[in-house]
Amino acid sequence: MPVLAQDPSVRREDGTILTASVSVPWESLAAGPGGHRVQVIDYDATTHTMYKPAEVEDGDVPDPADDKEILGDPAFHARNVYALAMRTLNRFEYALGRRVSWGFPAHQLKLLPHAFEEMNSFYSREAQSVVLGYYQRGGEPVFMCLSHDIVVHETTHALLDGLRSGFMKPSSPDQAAFHEAFADVVALLSVFSLSDVLSKLISRDPHIPEQDGVIPRSAVTTERLKESALLGLADDMDGESGAARVNALRRSVDLDPDPKLMERDEYLEPHRRGEILVAATMRAFVDAWARRLDAPDAARTDFIEVRRVVEEGADVARTLLTMAIRGLDYTPPVHLEFGDFLSAMITADSEIRADDMKYGLRQGLLDWFAKYGIEPASGSADGLWEGSDFQLASEGVHFGSLQTDPVEMFRLVWANLEKLSLVPSAYTRIASLRPCVRTSPDDGLPLHETVAECLQYVKIRAAELGPYGLVKPEGMPDSTEIPLEGGSTLILDDYGRLKYEVHNRLPDPANKSDVDKAQARLQSLWEQGYFDEGASFAARLATIHRLRAGEALEPRAEVW
Amino acid sequence: MAAKPTRARIRSYNVGFGDCFLLTFFYGEDDTRDILIDFGSTKDSPFGPAKGMLAIAEKIREDSGGKLDMVVATHRHRDHISGFGGDPGDVIASLKPELVLQPWTEDPELEPDARGRPDAAGGRGAPGLVARLANMQAVAQAIKDEVPNLKASPHVRKTVREQLEFLGDTNIANRDSVVNLMKMGKRAVYANFGTELDVAELLPGVGLEVLGPPTLEQSAEIADQREKDPDEFWQLAAASAAAATVAADKPTLLFPDAAVPAETATQEGRWVIPEIERMRSEEMLAIVRSLDSALNNTSLILLFEVGDTRLLFPGDAQIENWSYALFTAPNHEEIRKRLATAAFYKVGHHGSLNATPKTLWSGFKRANEEKTPDRLSTMVSTLAGKHGSEARGTEVPRKLLVTELEHRSNFQDTETLRSADEFWNDVEFEF
Repeated sequence: MPVLAQDPSVRREDGTILTASVSVPWESLAAGPGGHRVQVIDYDATTHTMYKPAEVEDGDVPDPADDKEILGDPAFHARNVYALAMRTLNRFEYALGRRVSWGFPAHQLKLLPHAFEEMNSFYSREAQSVVLGYYQRGGEPVFMCLSHDIVVHETTHALLDGLRSGFMKPSSPDQAAFHEAFADVVALLSVFSLSDVLSKLISRDPHIPEQDGVIPRSAVTTERLKESALLGLADDMDGESGAARVNALRRSVDLDPDPKLMERDEYLEPHRRGEILVAATMRAFVDAWARRLDAPDAARTDFIEVRRVVEEGADVARTLLTMAIRGLDYTPPVHLEFGDFLSAMITADSEIRADDMKYGLRQGLLDWFAKYGIEPASGSADGLWEGSDFQLASEGVHFGSLQTDPVEMFRLVWANLEKLSLVPSAYTRIASLRPCVRTSPDDGLPLHETVAECLQYVKIRAAELGPYGLVKPEGMPDSTEIPLEGGSTLILDDYGRLKYEVHNRLPDPANKSDVDKAQARLQSLWEQGYFDEGASFAARLATIHRLRAGEALEPRAEVW
Repeated sequence: MAAKPTRARIRSYNVGFGDCFLLTFFYGEDDTRDILIDFGSTKDSPFGPAKGMLAIAEKIREDSGGKLDMVVATHRHRDHISGFGGDPGDVIASLKPELVLQPWTEDPELEPDARGRPDAAGGRGAPGLVARLANMQAVAQAIKDEVPNLKASPHVRKTVREQLEFLGDTNIANRDSVVNLMKMGKRAVYANFGTELDVAELLPGVGLEVLGPPTLEQSAEIADQREKDPDEFWQLAAASAAAATVAADKPTLLFPDAAVPAETATQEGRWVIPEIERMRSEEMLAIVRSLDSALNNTSLILLFEVGDTRLLFPGDAQIENWSYALFTAPNHEEIRKRLATAAFYKVGHHGSLNATPKTLWSGFKRANEEKTPDRLSTMVSTLAGKHGSEARGTEVPRKLLVTELEHRSNFQDTETLRSADEFWNDVEFEF
């Protein structure tokens, strides 16, 4: 299906809007388009108007006739968001080796390409929707549904919420930043995995002299690729997606490494903090790309074909995107920090793709994250989570149902509370249970895994924090109710044996580093007013997006 | 004229939801200097004078002996300046104020389309901010205009609609009042943090310090490139608002040829339409709240000083405005010391949760439970039930704050006034 390569401001040399063709798995489509996973509903709440649902014929969908159709035909807009959302879903399912469900009790995500006249777009769990706004600029409407990166970004929020509902909860500054950062990483890598976009950005860079389809190898350095691809995209986007969004993306890719960034106050704000994760990941991307182009090969000359530069770039983008998505399965279910995500990506990837010689992405990620002050949470030099050094008692547990039945999984957990260092008195549940089959690129054989999220929850009063090693924040009344959450992600192999147990457990006074982290979270949530009477802290993505446009959060300590 | 006043009186008139304070310095019994600080309302008090704002204007004429020395409009919200327009405004103008003091953001030379020097205000900052404020008011107008349409929708919650109406109304441009304020004074000063005001002749023996709002250069966070983002946001929002205003009765459809009856929607569509309608109204509310805060943060913060008696009038300044004087300014420690000795505090923003910084409140040395003779006096002008919600902890006035004010200061509230004839509270200071 034809989609916009980025947005209407990214154009070909002849001035026409750059489109790309993406493959979307076949399905029976109702008008909308409405498929079994996403449904486009073209309702505009500002004018209270419903627009005619778009029809999609079987087979290849023809390219739009001209830019007028791209900008002026709501049916094209509807197909554009459908195709981009489905492509994103498809990337997730490919990476995770299973169907991925949404974070709400329905099978179909609703997409509203012209939801209202406002410079905002967001995912809403309550409305089971991705809503995309439009706004006026110079008397012409600008459609956010025509921005590739925005559609993918919002769809990623929806997918991430389906995979880890806990990540929307108030916790550490890292977790608040993660949703935004991850959605940006997926959106950027999604755009860069389109050869058409890369080809255009590279060909246009005056510092990369092209002749007869080849360019000097010396011209494609990490720094050059950063300038031409990453910043080039931001330059093109100026004026279409709204400068606030472009500035945010530009800051993300232009942020110079500094291991002290994470400690600076201004980087405690979720969207700014997220920029660090995006910067580290995107730098690792261009670096791996440049190294790939510099790889020794038999017929090496001083020149390299542009087509190869572009294809290698798209390939690295796809591989890294797959790594980032796979990493999610190996993250703890609650209280995510950037270092957890790094270890998760590295471990998940090495399980399935033992050989990383081609791209060197694992080491690249470790190096670049370190440059931005993010160390792997595993604490080891290789960044890998430590494999489980114990096995679970499995008497009476049926392996067959362990992969699919949360009750069976709960039985296993219940029988092993002590081994898993879980708190017996806490409310415990299996939040998700997911069997997956991934194909190894090394040998083509399938890897079977079962991923279970086990959550523990207690609700106590501030006066009862002592047994958890925590201290009440100054000024907090004894009677304040405090929810504490902990959790473990259990990863089982083909035989139901425990491979990894990735946890952020309820704080245990014997474990100082866990307690310190929990104390910091408690303090920061208290300062943000999370425990205030009547406080509403629904981590609404709408608000976070608006904050990006320059609104500031108030320092809680000064407010009544 | 004595070299310094012997006493002062602060009179707070019951304007309902709004502010109106007359500060009178007495230099002997008949020799007074009168300063009117704000005169606006968005909702009359049910117990106020029958003739409303006009009656209050006339009372101000009487109380000031027919002459105002200074008029202060802390910021351009309707609940602070509406009385400067219309008939009440004519009364105030007839009192021939010597000096009209407003925040730097009101400087007409900063108008984005003004001819002459683009950096007229001595490089104090971007006309961008002024344009941004104007854009915000255009957005507020569009939102206010939209409220009747929202009433027709069963999906929009009543509380959201009421807040939209109230905040929309507060934030629309008060052209009449703004123009009148510009013209009425013999001298107009547009001040920012640190502006040195020459009031030696106007108010002998009285010091007047401006503690806010900071200029763009002063406020560190604004130095960043990110600050262009909100300019753009509001510019685009205003463009959309303008389009909506033009098409108020019959909105322009994006794709008129593709419109179909809503009844043709699928079941999913029927389910999601109310959700989207509701979300849109909440988005509008979030936007109007954010522009409301931005305008509050242009408030003048004034500290009057006679000997060691200090009287503090912070308008509606919220934390972002206050933070420069309290935390960032090079001399902030000194400022805090002076603030700590305040004898009077006009409670910020009608007692809302975020306009009395806790750092400020906990610093007041005269605030105490013992009822000492020099105990801090506080006054609030407010009307409960108009703004925010108790369930969300955003009610105005905020109960927690009011309790604290009642316990630790000599507190007066216009809300307790019940007389249509004596519609004011007084507090006096001897020097």
